[in-house]
Amino acid sequence: MLQLHRSTLIASMLALVACVVLYATLGVAKPFHLWKWTDIVSEGGTAIMAGSWVLFTLSSRPGGLVTRLLAGGLALIMVGSFADCMDEFFAVSKTARWDHWLEMLVPVGMACVTCGMYYWRHEQFRLNEHLQKRERLFRDHRAFDRITQLANADYLRRQIRHEQAQRPGRQCALVLLDIDGFHLINREFGQREGDRVLQAVGHMLLLNLRNDDLLCRYAGDRFALLLPDTGEAEAAAMARHLAAMVGQMRHHARAQRVPITLRHASTNAAADVGPELMLAELARALAVPAQSAGMAGVAVA
Amino acid sequence: MIAYRQIGEPSIPVRHQAALLDYARHQEVAHAVLLRDTGLTDRDLAAPDMLLTPHQALQLLANVMRVLDSADTSFLLGQQMLPGHGGALSHALLQAQNLRQALDILCAGHARLCPLLTPRWREEGGLAVLYWTDSFGAPSQLPPLVEMHMTAVTAMCRWLGGERLPWRYCLNRSAPAHVEQHEAHLGGELRFNCHLDAMLIDPAWLDRPWPRGNAMAAANALAGVAAEGAPLVPSLLTALYDYLLDNIRLAPTLEGSAAAFGVSPATLKRHLARHGSHFQAELDQVRAHVAMQLFQMRGYDNEAVAQYLGFHDATNFRRSFKRWTGLVPSLLRDALLRS
Repeated sequence: MLQLHRSTLIASMLALVACVVLYATLGVAKPFHLWKWTDIVSEGGTAIMAGSWVLFTLSSRPGGLVTRLLAGGLALIMVGSFADCMDEFFAVSKTARWDHWLEMLVPVGMACVTCGMYYWRHEQFRLNEHLQKRERLFRDHRAFDRITQLANADYLRRQIRHEQAQRPGRQCALVLLDIDGFHLINREFGQREGDRVLQAVGHMLLLNLRNDDLLCRYAGDRFALLLPDTGEAEAAAMARHLAAMVGQMRHHARAQRVPITLRHASTNAAADVGPELMLAELARALAVPAQSAGMAGVAVA
Repeated sequence: MIAYRQIGEPSIPVRHQAALLDYARHQEVAHAVLLRDTGLTDRDLAAPDMLLTPHQALQLLANVMRVLDSADTSFLLGQQMLPGHGGALSHALLQAQNLRQALDILCAGHARLCPLLTPRWREEGGLAVLYWTDSFGAPSQLPPLVEMHMTAVTAMCRWLGGERLPWRYCLNRSAPAHVEQHEAHLGGELRFNCHLDAMLIDPAWLDRPWPRGNAMAAANALAGVAAEGAPLVPSLLTALYDYLLDNIRLAPTLEGSAAAFGVSPATLKRHLARHGSHFQAELDQVRAHVAMQLFQMRGYDNEAVAQYLGFHDATNFRRSFKRWTGLVPSLLRDALLRS
């Protein structure tokens, strides 16, 4: 991402060089015994830190207003404190005003960063809306699956525990969905195609969920749904609807239509059972072949 | 004299690693990362007949596992592993008529089909057991290797048998954080802390015909295997395990084993050390496995097992067993029988 911001980086470097040149030509070098080490370390340190923040910001964000404000503000803070630090090495005559103006860059930069933070907050609200069905209440970037961009089983277990602890007695349902014969798709068309199926199914499920529901990729070809304020009957109906929606989907691999069907099992997540046990129970219910369960859905009491 | 193969001897054709290499490519693992510490170059991997040492194969796997750092890597690798790219052997597996024949082919051809872990299967006391032992001494890689190989057999049987087989799994490890992967890729019947990596199934499934099975084609493929030349000799740890298993009631010693392998005791010691092991550890492992098998499949009690293994009395046996497994026999026996 740093390539995107090459001009910003070059400008900051030039500003630092200009600072050195300015002090070296207009100021008089102070003798070594007059250097104040505490000031040098604190002001120089601030400049280095601010510089690293500029790099972090630029390397992790696409361009745009928020990035410009944050990175620009931090760069101003960096140049301002660097000038402040140069003060310790060169004596500038008391009548000159330019060095004060340079030091003024620090508060200006802070204002820019504050402004950037404000807009960043707006941006974050928008992003949260997008992520709503993929994460609830807390964010953990390590918990996201690479293929489907959904949270993983670990995140799900924490959410169930959170739900049980925070809202005891409230209804909550847990549904496990499994793609029928997924291994055949992998064998016949390869893992890449299998990944595309997972993505397609993930999208389809997300489109059919309510805002408060959480969809996770449990493991392999299994998806899990956490449905707050939902009774078991309602959850089973919802799972049937989702299975029907996915069944309607047309997935094509090598110019051939691949039918995709789901099996599901649901349970009451509000029960006082650990998430591990609950999920193991659901997984076992899913392993029962559909014919012997009497239908494509299984409810675990 | 029993011949054996060591961790540093080139013996695994690159083409047998195709599943791993494909997966690494698919996941966009950089070549430099993939080849780190293997001493291999891109050109080596492009030559399908180039032979890798088991050490290099293990290192390739370790590199992929480390860079992807994802709990499902071993399982996804397992999905693609069997029947594999082992020529006539893989072809024979593909045509297997039933589970029994598939297991026979797998165990007989393990040096080519799954060189890093050795499968063994037996049927006794109303139970068929397929269990796995380390071929080249990679204890740190054992958990992912076991996940990978168990997934491979499970997925192959499910595919060729046309349905999910009701395997039960015993794993020689504590319950992992990523147990959902085991549930999704293996099945719900999982037991951890087992001191043995084994897959159990009702023997009724052994002879149920598989829809793709073809007796003629399987026989032809097996004849092709014989025509491909002499089979690979087993790895040192595998050969030693088999030797100890055959002689377990005769109180095998390092000296006796070395003589059977046609090397001096010092050489055998050195070769074992190269695989991160020593004679006593191997002997203890075999004795623990035999004891567990007697408990589970024949319903022996301590006394009977002690006598079978040539211990003076049950107390001595109990003490030794505790040293091998960290558990007293009664605890483990109860746990085994409960299933």
